[in-house]
Amino acid sequence: MIEIKNVDFKYANSESNAIKNLSLTIGAGETVLLCGQSGCGKTTVTRLINGLVPHYYEGELTGSVTVKGLDLVKAELYETARVVGSVFQNPRSQFFCVDTTSEIAFACENMGLPKKIIKERIQEAASAMKIENLLGRNIFNLSCGEKQRVACASVSAMHPDVLVLDEPTSNLDMDAIESLKCILQSWKSCGKTIVIAEHRLHWLRNICDRAVYMEGGEILLDLPMHEFIASPPEKLCKLGLRPLSLEHLKKESPPSTSGGSFKLEDFCYSYEKRKPSLEIKSLFLPKDGIIAVIGHNGAGKSTLSKCLCGLEKEFWGKVVWDGIAYKRRTLLKKCYLVMQDVNHQLFCESVEDEVCLGMNNDNKKEVQGILEQLDLLQYGSRHPMSLSGGQKQRVAIASALLADKEILVFDEPTSGLDYCHMKETASLRNSLRGKRTILIVTHDPELILLCCTHILHLEKGRVEESYPLDARGSPRLINFFTHGLKKEKDIEKTI
Amino acid sequence: MRHSMMQSDVENRGLILDPRTKLFLLITMATFVLGGAGSDGLWFLTPCLCLIPLVLLLFSRKYKAAIKYSIIYLTMYFSFHYFGQKTTGITNFLLLGTTGIITRFMPNLMLGLYVVSTTTVSEFTAAMLRLHVSEKLIIPLSVMFRFFPTVTDEFSSINAAMRMREISFGGKNVKKMLEYRLVPLLTCSSRIGEELSAAALTRGLGGNVRRTNVCEIGFHIQDFILILLCFVPFLLVILPLSRVL
Repeated sequence: MIEIKNVDFKYANSESNAIKNLSLTIGAGETVLLCGQSGCGKTTVTRLINGLVPHYYEGELTGSVTVKGLDLVKAELYETARVVGSVFQNPRSQFFCVDTTSEIAFACENMGLPKKIIKERIQEAASAMKIENLLGRNIFNLSCGEKQRVACASVSAMHPDVLVLDEPTSNLDMDAIESLKCILQSWKSCGKTIVIAEHRLHWLRNICDRAVYMEGGEILLDLPMHEFIASPPEKLCKLGLRPLSLEHLKKESPPSTSGGSFKLEDFCYSYEKRKPSLEIKSLFLPKDGIIAVIGHNGAGKSTLSKCLCGLEKEFWGKVVWDGIAYKRRTLLKKCYLVMQDVNHQLFCESVEDEVCLGMNNDNKKEVQGILEQLDLLQYGSRHPMSLSGGQKQRVAIASALLADKEILVFDEPTSGLDYCHMKETASLRNSLRGKRTILIVTHDPELILLCCTHILHLEKGRVEESYPLDARGSPRLINFFTHGLKKEKDIEKTI
Repeated sequence: MRHSMMQSDVENRGLILDPRTKLFLLITMATFVLGGAGSDGLWFLTPCLCLIPLVLLLFSRKYKAAIKYSIIYLTMYFSFHYFGQKTTGITNFLLLGTTGIITRFMPNLMLGLYVVSTTTVSEFTAAMLRLHVSEKLIIPLSVMFRFFPTVTDEFSSINAAMRMREISFGGKNVKKMLEYRLVPLLTCSSRIGEELSAAALTRGLGGNVRRTNVCEIGFHIQDFILILLCFVPFLLVILPLSRVL
């Protein structure tokens, strides 16, 4: 079905090859996992298959790529689009329309299909993806998981033979991953050929037939999935891959927390005219802890983090810290939110200017110290936007530390990160422990087990449970990520 | 989860008008209210036309905007006619200037807001196709429609980030306000634009076949009423002219 032969590719602005002499043959009906560390070239392979390389992302290409007999190097993108459907990483930026129905129709409209057929296909795709209730909705009001399902429906409506997914789960919670899994299974049973580039591997165990591991633009391993699963976890770790199952995850060292705590009071907030999305009367959290905030989409996690940082205008709750009450305006000075998209919070021309921006008194030594601690010293004069994702995040942290913020809130810091970078993020949090209070909003159980000391589980705006992550806490956490789902569904059924 | 201004609210929009009717309404309003054509002798024309956005806003259940609009417009209108004759000199000049500009611009802005917030991208493209506008113009225009809500989204995130860094008016960085806001906005929007066009291309945009459009647009009774209403001012201006000739 897909044949990539001796392909070398170099992006127009880069110095080294993204892909080196790569050959890969994928048969009809196969489901292939592409894995490897960030920058290993797996995204480039997905782009080769959907034709974006070399037609949209330009560069020097040698070799040949054919899908279903179509020469992709010569074919126009709209010809490729009829055979290959793509789902991308960022649900925010893969929609052309503003409402769901016309988005699903969009691809078919481009193919010039008659109206009647398009309408049938919309219904068909919607029922296959179980999104009938989402038709006719505004896409901007959907959750990430719902957006990703609409994206799948839109691709599915074109009836492509090949489907390419580039890190589809990096913004999704467990439920959404589960429903994406069902979608993949239904595609598979229809005999479609599927290629998935992904960091999170556990959900793909029973879906893929074959695993391809890449490094530096070359294929190092090409195994059937059952052999890949059989390989010991230490080997995966060495390859820089995330674990294949969550059950065996363990907390490496139990946390030791000492004393002090602070209190959240009246953390209630509702968006206009809707039912409250956050209702916490009072809650104690450890001062020197790293607190993981977990819960399903819409549980109030991001509302909590925005309120805590004083970003919601009509919020009247307070934080009691050392006997002093902080309200909205003072919380703005005390807390700092590192956003999921860090690009929103980098303003200056160089890293040094950036980190000094919020400082009250310019203190050169302190700046150097913090930059060194965060491994940023050599980038002092670089433009923040020219750095990699992880480095940008560190710049944001540095600026928060220098502005004397005491509570740092991270929104999904590891979405789309590979094992090494996740580990780096975790050890960075660990090094801040005790100096600052850290809250991490995340769907990533691996990160939580690597660095967090407390769990705050929100559901429907209320605190479901809150416990320290010790010998008793960690099974509870893993249970939430593996079984929490089934249990809830059972409850729904009995009701 | 908040609604931004420039985002079409497809879930809840009340009276449905054909995009072509909306376009004609915009042209009429711009000619007579903003351009001031035929304003001599026909003093009642502009205030009557200014009722149109109010009615439309009420039908699309944007009550807050409707109330604000009517209060501001009425105050401006009456101060223009009442205080305009009582004051003299520089105050008179300033008063007439501001009230005049606001009474002329505001109805158009409100109508524009109504149009943008009730038209979906596919309705818009369907209407343009029916008007035989070239696809080379339609695609960039529809991307623009898609981009408004994105940019407002980005803008509010950047604003939040700036508040946390204590960059605001009155701080020590007043001069750099614009730069700080624009740099991240531009980088974020250009990246989103790039990803957006990649996604659109993999869905076959720009092919050699004629695009279909599933959107049902067409003229209903409400469209005919509004179009007839729009013809009235044109006739009122043109008829006296033809008599002179």
